[in-house]
Amino acid sequence: MSAEPGAAPPLPAAPNLAAPAEGAIGWIASTDHKRTAAKIGAASLVFFIASGVLALVMRTELAQPGLQFISDQTYNELFSMHGSGMIFLFLTPAALALGLYFVPLQIGAAEIALPRLALFGFWTYLCGGLTMYAGFFTNNGAGSDGWTAAVPLSNSAFTPGIGMDMWVIGAGLAVLGSLLIGVTILLTLFRLRAPGMTMLRLPVFSWSMVVTAFMVVGSFPVLVVTMGLLLYERHIGGVFSGSGGAIAFQHLFWFYGHPVVYVMFFPFVGAVGEVVATFSRRRFFGYRALVLSLLVFTALSMAVWAHHMFTTGGVQNQYFSLTSHLLAVPAGIEYLDLIATMIGGAILLRTPMLFALGFILQFLIGGLTGIVVASPPIDYHVHDTFFVVGHFHYTLFAGSLFGLLAGVHYWFPKATGAMLREGLGKLSFWLLVIGANLTFFPMFFLGFDGMQRRVPDYAPRLGDLNLLSSIGAAVIALGILVFLVNVAVSLRRRQPAGDDPWEGQTLEWATSSPPPRHNFRQPLPPIGSHAPLFDRRLAEEPA
Amino acid sequence: MKNGAAFAAFWGALLLILGTGLTIWSGGMGIGLLLAQGGFGALALALLQAGRPPQPRARLLPRFSLPTVVLALGLAAAALGLTAGLWLVLIGAEVALFALVWLAREIVAERRLPR
Amino acid sequence: MGTTRQDFEGLFSLYIWIGSGVAVLVFAAVAFALIRYRARDGRRPSRRSEANLLEGLVAILILAVVALLVTRTFTTEAAEDESRATPVRIDVTAFRWGWRFTYPGQGVSVIGNSSANPTFAVPADRTVSFSLRTRDVIHSFWIPEERFKRDAIPGRVNRFDIDFEGAGSEEGLCAEFCGLEHSKMGFEVFVLSPASYERWLAAHRGGAA
Repeated sequence: MSAEPGAAPPLPAAPNLAAPAEGAIGWIASTDHKRTAAKIGAASLVFFIASGVLALVMRTELAQPGLQFISDQTYNELFSMHGSGMIFLFLTPAALALGLYFVPLQIGAAEIALPRLALFGFWTYLCGGLTMYAGFFTNNGAGSDGWTAAVPLSNSAFTPGIGMDMWVIGAGLAVLGSLLIGVTILLTLFRLRAPGMTMLRLPVFSWSMVVTAFMVVGSFPVLVVTMGLLLYERHIGGVFSGSGGAIAFQHLFWFYGHPVVYVMFFPFVGAVGEVVATFSRRRFFGYRALVLSLLVFTALSMAVWAHHMFTTGGVQNQYFSLTSHLLAVPAGIEYLDLIATMIGGAILLRTPMLFALGFILQFLIGGLTGIVVASPPIDYHVHDTFFVVGHFHYTLFAGSLFGLLAGVHYWFPKATGAMLREGLGKLSFWLLVIGANLTFFPMFFLGFDGMQRRVPDYAPRLGDLNLLSSIGAAVIALGILVFLVNVAVSLRRRQPAGDDPWEGQTLEWATSSPPPRHNFRQPLPPIGSHAPLFDRRLAEEPA
Repeated sequence: MKNGAAFAAFWGALLLILGTGLTIWSGGMGIGLLLAQGGFGALALALLQAGRPPQPRARLLPRFSLPTVVLALGLAAAALGLTAGLWLVLIGAEVALFALVWLAREIVAERRLPR
Repeated sequence: MGTTRQDFEGLFSLYIWIGSGVAVLVFAAVAFALIRYRARDGRRPSRRSEANLLEGLVAILILAVVALLVTRTFTTEAAEDESRATPVRIDVTAFRWGWRFTYPGQGVSVIGNSSANPTFAVPADRTVSFSLRTRDVIHSFWIPEERFKRDAIPGRVNRFDIDFEGAGSEEGLCAEFCGLEHSKMGFEVFVLSPASYERWLAAHRGGAA
């Protein structure tokens, strides 16, 4: 293998001892990171649709006061599996899959660091997800204690049955799988960068994956261990009993439970950064400031977890309130950089850019309401109410999902070789904007006015806002449907994308669409910054 | 340092500072340990990284790896057996063991091939 | 020193004003960028790609706002911890799925559940000091009109004070998911004048209502 700058390092594929055959074996057991990432993406999409349907059922029940067609027990399973599915089985794996696919391409690598580990991680996650959902078919139903499974509610005395056990095991497996994917990505970033790509020449998205992987490695093992402990508690007991047990469990859970929401954020803010730069026709503004704020932001995010526990009376509220407020500083720098990239640019409002703008403005609402609840006296009112439900749906749905869609619309041509339709893309965007805001904005008022979380019914005076929210959910469903139609249509009647349909700035646009098995056939362009193709285009411009 | 170790060390150091702050502010509670495990883990990663050559070594890879998949399925079955019953733990463990041996053979075979 | 609710309102207003201000600023900046910097023929994007001084200033500015918010939060929390003299004491026990309210030393105890929510009374002019326990899982004692809740955690007693505002009947809810009838586990509080409160106590002496 050559160590000359600019040389693509194509590795010969070792002949398998059996004759290599694509087809089914290829899809099941391929070591190609692009295949593994595609499988994670496909699985997470299925879990997204399943968990989304659960939400639509809930919103249909909640549209009017009174219990119409759902029992209390069923409702408890619905909201538990909705949250668990979205967090453990959809958005976290999807975020990591985006990195698994595009990090090697962005850093000029032929493969990831530990392909078998990533493959193992996918299957472990998939088994975890199927195990969790299979709980619906058991006697006592699926897991029904929220995605947070607080003890003692989640022990076998209060939540008996194999379905809850399957939830615990499923969550452990899914998070273990995600952990291993994160490890693979981190080692890839450390070890397989092309010659000339120093850490401070990593593209914006790849830097966001570095810090995401740090959080994964730092916090996901704790969840896996905690699920093991919970399973032990359910079958043998004695782990979380005693007066500190309930609080101890929450510390262990939220130590993972907070960083995971940032794992579901940073890859998407990275993707949005790439999109904003590309569609403003400029380099990303404030690269070094961004790197510093990514490091500080993610380190801080590991130290805020007990802000989920302000009302327990058992934690040091002031410390966690302080660290939670401090998150505003690096967040503000990132916003400054995104907006400064646009100001002075030449902005093209194509679909990826629309979703990026949606992310920027809507995540802001989620982030600001996050600062609001970082104040314990305020949290004493709105904790565990629909105010918080509104807050985290603004960050995760109106924020992260829009960021994911920005990345998907941006990178779909690279991964498939086909362009997505602009018209359908714009339609899906506007439906989702209207739907998201209609669904989640009323929740701030519902929560403030006295609607607690995890209830199938509420006081009649809250009926109108709930109806509005449920209508919004239907609009969201329509928007997602249009997106799926867009994908289907675009794959059937392909508009060829070519290597670089957007005039991209980073190395993935220097290879074919889709990329070959080992990513690059041609030698790489010289790497002098985090935007090598932008540099090359600039150098070739007539003066 | 060019190979990422400095950044892992910086991040780990931040965690240790935050953990120390928490321990002091809370009067010595054990939860500072959570941040400590993250911080020391990151520092350990940095140390491991610091000693590595910055350029990737050539490696041979198989196009696909069935034993990896079977290993994952076996371990998942064993995990499910923790609630379904000992029978499933044993089946899963056997499958996993078989897959582990298969995987070891796969790795050894590719190491033997000429570069 | 104000009521619990007044402490909340002042703090919440500050946060909402600042948050709204930031939101307006960011929306305006984005709108400005979209209007002024749309791609046009001949438009050449700026080549400038960093301004570390600006970044530093913005960071310091945000830090200043954070300092203001955190200080105000900490002082509000401290104010909430102060109480007027001679509080009324009420022991609250949460269970699946109802509440018991006991007035120690008064011989009054009220209990209710999801079929018949309990009601208890407090005087409007005195601090009420609650001791909150649970018999089983985690519950949460929430009175939305007072802008306050506290969790009931197994194995511990959570003590907190509320200075009730105004007069009348206020809704109470369980705000921590506790299983099947979590949504039906409500209660009611009567905020009464001192005289009415004494009459209520007298009427309820000698056993659970």
